[in-house]
Amino acid sequence: MRFVGFLLRRIVGIAAVMIGVSVITFAISHVVPADPAVAALGDHATDAQIAAFRAEYHLDRPLPEQYVTYVVGILHGDLGKSIRTRRAVADDLADSFPATLELSFAALAISLLVGIPAGIWSAIYRGRVPDVIVRVAALAGGSLPVFWLGLIVIGLFYYQLGWLPGGGRLDTFVPPPPTRTGLYVVDSLLALDFDALRSSLIHLVLPSLTLGYFSTAVIARMTRSSMLEVLGQDYMRTARAKGLAERLIVVRHGLRNALIPTVTIIGLTFGSLLSGAVLTETIFSWPGLGRYATASAISLDFPAVLGVTLLAAIVYPVANLAVDVAYYWLDPRIQRG
Amino acid sequence: MFRQLRYTSIVFAVVLLVAAACGPAANPSASPGASASASPSAGGAASTLVIDQDVSDLISLDPAVVYEFSGVLLAHNVYDTLVRFEGTDLSTIKPGLATSWDTKDAGTTWDMTFKLKTGQKFASGNAVTADDVVYSFQRAIKLNKSPAFLFTDIAQLKAESIKASDPSTVVISLPKTASPAAFLTILTFTLGGVVDSKEVKTKETGGDSGSAYLLDHSSGSGPYVVDHWTKNAEVLLKTNPNYAGTKPPLSGILVKHVPESTNQQFALEKGDADVARNLTPQQISALQGKAGVSTTTAASLLLVYVGMNALKPPLNNVNVREALRTAVDYDGIIKDLLKGNGKKIQGIVPLGLAGANETAPFQADVAKAQTLLTQANVGKVTLDFLVPTGTAPGGVAWSDLGAKLQSDWAKIGVTVNIKQQPTADLLTTYRAQQGQLVLINWGPDYPDPDANVGPFTDYKAKSIAYRNGWDDAAIAQKGRDAALITDPAKRVAAYKDITDYVLHNGPYVILYQPTELFGLRSNVKGFNWSSIGWVDFASVTK
Amino acid sequence: MAEAFTATGRLRSARLVARAPILRSPLNVVALAIIAIFALCAVFAPLIAPYDPLAQALGSRLEPPSPEHWLGTDQLGRDIFSRLLYGSRISLVIGIAVVASAGIFGTFVGLIAGYAGGLVDEALMRLTEVFLAFPALILAMAIAGALGPSLTNAIIALAAVTWAIYARLARGQILSLRRREFVEAARGIGASQLRIILRHLLPNAVAPLMVQASFDMGSVIIAAAGLSFIGFGAQPPTPEWGVMISEGRNFISTQPWLSLFPGLAILLAVGSFNLLGDGLRDAFDPRLSRSD
Repeated sequence: MRFVGFLLRRIVGIAAVMIGVSVITFAISHVVPADPAVAALGDHATDAQIAAFRAEYHLDRPLPEQYVTYVVGILHGDLGKSIRTRRAVADDLADSFPATLELSFAALAISLLVGIPAGIWSAIYRGRVPDVIVRVAALAGGSLPVFWLGLIVIGLFYYQLGWLPGGGRLDTFVPPPPTRTGLYVVDSLLALDFDALRSSLIHLVLPSLTLGYFSTAVIARMTRSSMLEVLGQDYMRTARAKGLAERLIVVRHGLRNALIPTVTIIGLTFGSLLSGAVLTETIFSWPGLGRYATASAISLDFPAVLGVTLLAAIVYPVANLAVDVAYYWLDPRIQRG
Repeated sequence: MFRQLRYTSIVFAVVLLVAAACGPAANPSASPGASASASPSAGGAASTLVIDQDVSDLISLDPAVVYEFSGVLLAHNVYDTLVRFEGTDLSTIKPGLATSWDTKDAGTTWDMTFKLKTGQKFASGNAVTADDVVYSFQRAIKLNKSPAFLFTDIAQLKAESIKASDPSTVVISLPKTASPAAFLTILTFTLGGVVDSKEVKTKETGGDSGSAYLLDHSSGSGPYVVDHWTKNAEVLLKTNPNYAGTKPPLSGILVKHVPESTNQQFALEKGDADVARNLTPQQISALQGKAGVSTTTAASLLLVYVGMNALKPPLNNVNVREALRTAVDYDGIIKDLLKGNGKKIQGIVPLGLAGANETAPFQADVAKAQTLLTQANVGKVTLDFLVPTGTAPGGVAWSDLGAKLQSDWAKIGVTVNIKQQPTADLLTTYRAQQGQLVLINWGPDYPDPDANVGPFTDYKAKSIAYRNGWDDAAIAQKGRDAALITDPAKRVAAYKDITDYVLHNGPYVILYQPTELFGLRSNVKGFNWSSIGWVDFASVTK
Repeated sequence: MAEAFTATGRLRSARLVARAPILRSPLNVVALAIIAIFALCAVFAPLIAPYDPLAQALGSRLEPPSPEHWLGTDQLGRDIFSRLLYGSRISLVIGIAVVASAGIFGTFVGLIAGYAGGLVDEALMRLTEVFLAFPALILAMAIAGALGPSLTNAIIALAAVTWAIYARLARGQILSLRRREFVEAARGIGASQLRIILRHLLPNAVAPLMVQASFDMGSVIIAAAGLSFIGFGAQPPTPEWGVMISEGRNFISTQPWLSLFPGLAILLAVGSFNLLGDGLRDAFDPRLSRSD
């Protein structure tokens, strides 16, 4: 019962945030000096065509009315029609979101699989060579522009060395697996299509490394500092004094506590990955949400911009909620309040 | 430690489940053919032409809707038209679906009769009949999308003016104020593409004349059909099994969306792409002499120009406009910025169309320009200069072009402030006559000189002349008259007259006519790009 | 507070460290030095730069680094070194403008929320949640797209994305501090609300805000470069580092230095701000001495 109450409160909170997000984005997209109809129809359009277009997209209605129409539409699952692609925004999002999701998952996986061990390693050997290596690499990771890294990585690994592909999700002549989730790796596993599996994995390497570098650095630093904190505790000194075997046990215990902050920021990391995906997808010709957002923003396609923003803005709270739900169920202390 | 792993894996599992739940929602948008037959191999890599280009302008493949470059290129190879141009020749109309045609003076109208070739089939197997032609043209008028004005305004067609007098004859009546010659060139455009009315009628929903279906499916009689269009990623064309003409050598055409020209260049050099469409002049030079690749150029009918708003002082002063024209280093732009990939033209009719005027008297003459300015007696000139974002035709960045012009004009003491804007903002301002200097390009809608002369001279057409506030009734009338002249020699003379006048009096600085640049694999042959904006894939081999 | 010993027992110059704990670590000194150089470059760019960053020389385009042009020339013949120097001005201005405006505005909001409590607090915190829910770059694109791409609008967009975190930090500090004794004492002697906020709460709240500001300087510079890269921020021919990388991306296989050097400049500048942020965090929290 407490759980249901907790869940309900969080969901209401998320809904409130989404309303705020939608109002702000709506306001922004409509404070536009330029005319989206002109953007869509181009230089050769006649005035009559532009007027017809504006009527079709309700651009001639007053703002609050447009907003209400929009919200009513959302409740029916209709996110409006994209001015640029002339398709339902919901369809556009459904097409592009899985690609970004797959890229973000891959980047997140790399961040955890590389970042956590690196952080631990660096904490254990504090002050020595491994520590320096990790800290320099982490510093660079937090200071590199992701688009610049992407350009260099493509130039080196695709152009000069030819080891990895320079863009896209699959080889040109490998057909995509039947769509179940839209994540090619998952779908090809489900369909036992090993050609597609191999091809999609290879194509994921460079973009996810590029996108994930920043969050790997963040996670490595966070793991390092919480490990150090744990290692400096009294019980660690006692364990050291008592002997090696005890110390191993304590390290493991310490590790568990050290990882708590890391797990906590998974949601936050995921949100920042979505942001970084915008630039990564441009460089790697990745047909995802980021590229869709850029194209929409440039063409003043505000239904699309609204749709993307709402979708992206909901990811972080939902991911956080998922983590909290997991904690709630699995940690009896929290349940007892 | 393990509890943390458990938490982490539970989070992953939860999100995966959510993603999987979204899966069925993701399905409907993928066209039914996509998952099943997404194999581009009717032969695989060896017989599929892979074209890397920026396809972000692709909105629909419906011939009644398509108007942007990517769509036109694809629709042209999927739908046949009544008449066509062959190869790169834009002066002779050749038979297409129609084997012969004639024009009769019927009093108040021109009656054009088209006789269809026998034995033509659509990809569905249905025969091509006059009813299909009537249906196709009428739906284009009814849908009234971007290209429809070619039928309704230029040719002044009404739906009831298109009739099928028998299963293989179409009769179209044009009002006397429209030009049958112009109409014939309009018919070669994708707007004149003929769709399979029997098939499309079964796909109509909610009165859309089958537009939703034809957005990403094809129903034509051309050499290729649309296999699939994965949005934002690629379009695949495969050969039409029921094509009445010679089977094309390449069984597949794959157009991949690769917006970064660097990626296109890499793909071309590695053999992952056969054609790269958006390379810069530098990249083209860099490809010279490299093994396995070659480059080719093709004429285009575009004009890159600066519009000067004659409503905004001091641009209302002819001498000021002439001074700005005189100060520009046209040769430098073509030689250095475009690396030779542009033709020098300063008149409003592009080279390649009858009536093009090669007179190009302007080349950076600082002294003369300054004299003109002094004569104008307007004091110090400071102007706002709207420049688009992105790349200009010819492969040079708009900003580089703008910066060069800014520095050319600074030499004669004119200060221009560059304001770079995305095309949408720029067009809104320009259309509302609010620009001062605007850098932009124009391409004719159909390969007839009137497609440029009208917009550039006729204020009432609410096109380019209107946007630059140039209301010159005399020249506008001359333009309209010239459009209706039937004798070719007289027409050319009339256009020479008009273009000479506009050269020194109009509000335009015509900079260059860009050359289209293509990077190709050396084994690709027959890629003959027509300046109207397409290539016949059926003639390409590799 | 003047702990002269680090956790590993090394002694630094006691007096210097007593005044400025931040100088405890050589890394922090390096970071400050780089930032100082960066600031000097920005301020004195017109004096140091050998060429006008906008001057085109179509005859000497795309030249590799040489004695005449230390970092080569770009596609319009402009000297890259000079453009980098002027770019440092722009980056510095963007960083300061965004962090200052977002920081001041956010802190102010957070102070009010923390001190007022109740409904005001609730409403303001919901507002920050809304802004924090936006993926930064997408909101920035929407704003810059709507207002038109320009440096000014990029600054506005980035400030809109950044202020919320300061509000939350400031509020957090206020909440933890307001119950402290000295606030009671001040109230006891009759100090006005405003005075309490300004003289007692604010100085103590500042520490985490300063740390955040340092990190934000770095992330704003990167974000601004990212916006320029996709065309929403500073526009060519402005020699902003992101614009330079964007202009150079088509030449990456033949003339990589066009994009390479601006990227390195970003790396250096942002890296030093990150180092500084680390150092500030450790200096303000000597319990958890993590740096050496």
